[in-house]
Amino acid sequence: MDNIYLPQKVKITKIDEQSSTVKLFRFSPIEPSAFKKNDNDLVFNPGQFVLVGEIGYGEAPFGPLSSPYEAEYMEIAVRKAGAVTNYLHSLKNGDEITMRGPYGNGFPLDFIQGKDMVMITGGCGIPPIAALVEYVIKNREKFGRIYVLYGARTPDEILLKEKIEEWKNFGIKSIITIDKPAPGWTGPVGFVSDLVKEIEIDEANAVATMCGPGPMMDALEKILRPLGISDRRIFVSMERKMQCGVGKCQHCVTGDKYVCMDGPVFYYDEIEKNHD
Amino acid sequence: MMLVINDKNLEVFIEKLKEKFDFFDIRNDKLPFKKYFFPPVQEIFTRNPLSKSKTSDLKTAKTPAKFVLFGLNLPQLEALTQLDEIMQKPNEDFFYFQNRKQSIVIGLIDVEIDAMPGGDIIFQKIGEGKYKVWAENAKSKQIIKENKVFFEEIEDEEIESARSFELSEGAEWSKTMRELLADSENLANAVAWSHGHKIWDELAEKCLGCGICTYVCPLCHCFSIEDRVGLDDKCSRCRKWDSCVLPSFSRIAGGHSFRPTIKERYYNWFYHKFVRAYREFGKSQCVGCGACKKNCPAGIDIQEILKTILEDYKKVMSDV
Repeated sequence: MDNIYLPQKVKITKIDEQSSTVKLFRFSPIEPSAFKKNDNDLVFNPGQFVLVGEIGYGEAPFGPLSSPYEAEYMEIAVRKAGAVTNYLHSLKNGDEITMRGPYGNGFPLDFIQGKDMVMITGGCGIPPIAALVEYVIKNREKFGRIYVLYGARTPDEILLKEKIEEWKNFGIKSIITIDKPAPGWTGPVGFVSDLVKEIEIDEANAVATMCGPGPMMDALEKILRPLGISDRRIFVSMERKMQCGVGKCQHCVTGDKYVCMDGPVFYYDEIEKNHD
Repeated sequence: MMLVINDKNLEVFIEKLKEKFDFFDIRNDKLPFKKYFFPPVQEIFTRNPLSKSKTSDLKTAKTPAKFVLFGLNLPQLEALTQLDEIMQKPNEDFFYFQNRKQSIVIGLIDVEIDAMPGGDIIFQKIGEGKYKVWAENAKSKQIIKENKVFFEEIEDEEIESARSFELSEGAEWSKTMRELLADSENLANAVAWSHGHKIWDELAEKCLGCGICTYVCPLCHCFSIEDRVGLDDKCSRCRKWDSCVLPSFSRIAGGHSFRPTIKERYYNWFYHKFVRAYREFGKSQCVGCGACKKNCPAGIDIQEILKTILEDYKKVMSDV
């Protein structure tokens, strides 16, 4: 009998401070030396999550941000928020931690191919979007125009700056906004309707993918709706309390769905009418 | 032919079982039998942070010795079968079945059945001091074979007239509840429809949000996973019963809760039992045992709630 709760040991191979509260962790499997690949020949589907932690401190869900083609390591962004993340922040290169997963469905890789895509994310919601961008880059000829709209609270809290810079080389246009005006910031403030002008897509053949906190709804109303992307083509990654990750503990349910098994990525119109 | 046992032999048989296995008579337990498979708190993993061998220090909870669970009644046997099904899907729950596979479950019932509703052996009272024995799987047949001196085979007809028992406490309530549960599709539709019904506001006033109903329910299976760093050299991960009516249940790091009010949490409890369970498994996650009603400190009776909803739902549907 397989033990669905048994984590695997992984070793931290890189730690990078992204902001005052967020660190990026790269970790590699110890045995065997590479992560297993799935039916798509990926180590995870962008949008899937892993549970990372340590016995004694707990586990928390993270969407890997590294390329899903990379089997030697995965990368996650960890914001210091609770017991698990505080513990992770105390670690150094070479330390061992545990991992379970990947779990969940991820973004619909077949459906999005051949289409223009608008990715909208905010705050610490960028990792799954970053992994999706990596997937697009690897299969660039199969995709149309790609936009990444990323909202951070302050300029200091913009994550993955270097990666976003690199993405330009692959024709991926990123628009970064911050929540409130800040000294020295010349970019846009908030997900405002004006941004629609900067996006050129064929709305009949476009999809949107979203992951992030509250202001996302603003983006939906002010950007995606005006762009003409229908709700059936908007894929949202949901956040819920997550514990077991495997459809048992009941923490993550919303309506009839388990965010951990049926999600975390849902059609927008699938979850819009849920009572909770 | 049928296998029977008299009460004197049953006592001796039980003594024999006690010699061989750990034995738990659940009839006077306050907490439901699920605790033997899915304990209120179970240390599922431990590790020694001081251990030199970094990769192999993780220890998984040990498999218990074989044990007998004795005295499950009809709703409890049904609940066990249903809980097995729940724990099986979508992936086998390791720790539940680690315990479950070590168990020999013995039912003790005083009602008629056509087939075994669950468990390994059932003693069905068929007259004064006399029990019909149900045992269908290899495990139970083996036990009976080893103890065959206590059992006797008789003709089927002999018991026909020997049945008259008193109804146990709460039996009427259970009977009505089981009638409602028989149409679980209707229950699912009605409870789904009832979101926004004023009854949930009334219940939110009444419910203390203590979670007792979920702890005493044989089918509720919410849990949380909690880790602990000990003062000794042991770090552990525990699986603990949790309750969806408690405020912390859907609260995430940073403090946001997805169901901040009792009203939302209490409805979610009903929604899971009667709507989502029906859509997932084709039946309500309730066997009509009455434990929630009996133990609720606020005196909430789920049958009354369901009746009110069903009545209003019927009215609305007939107006359409």
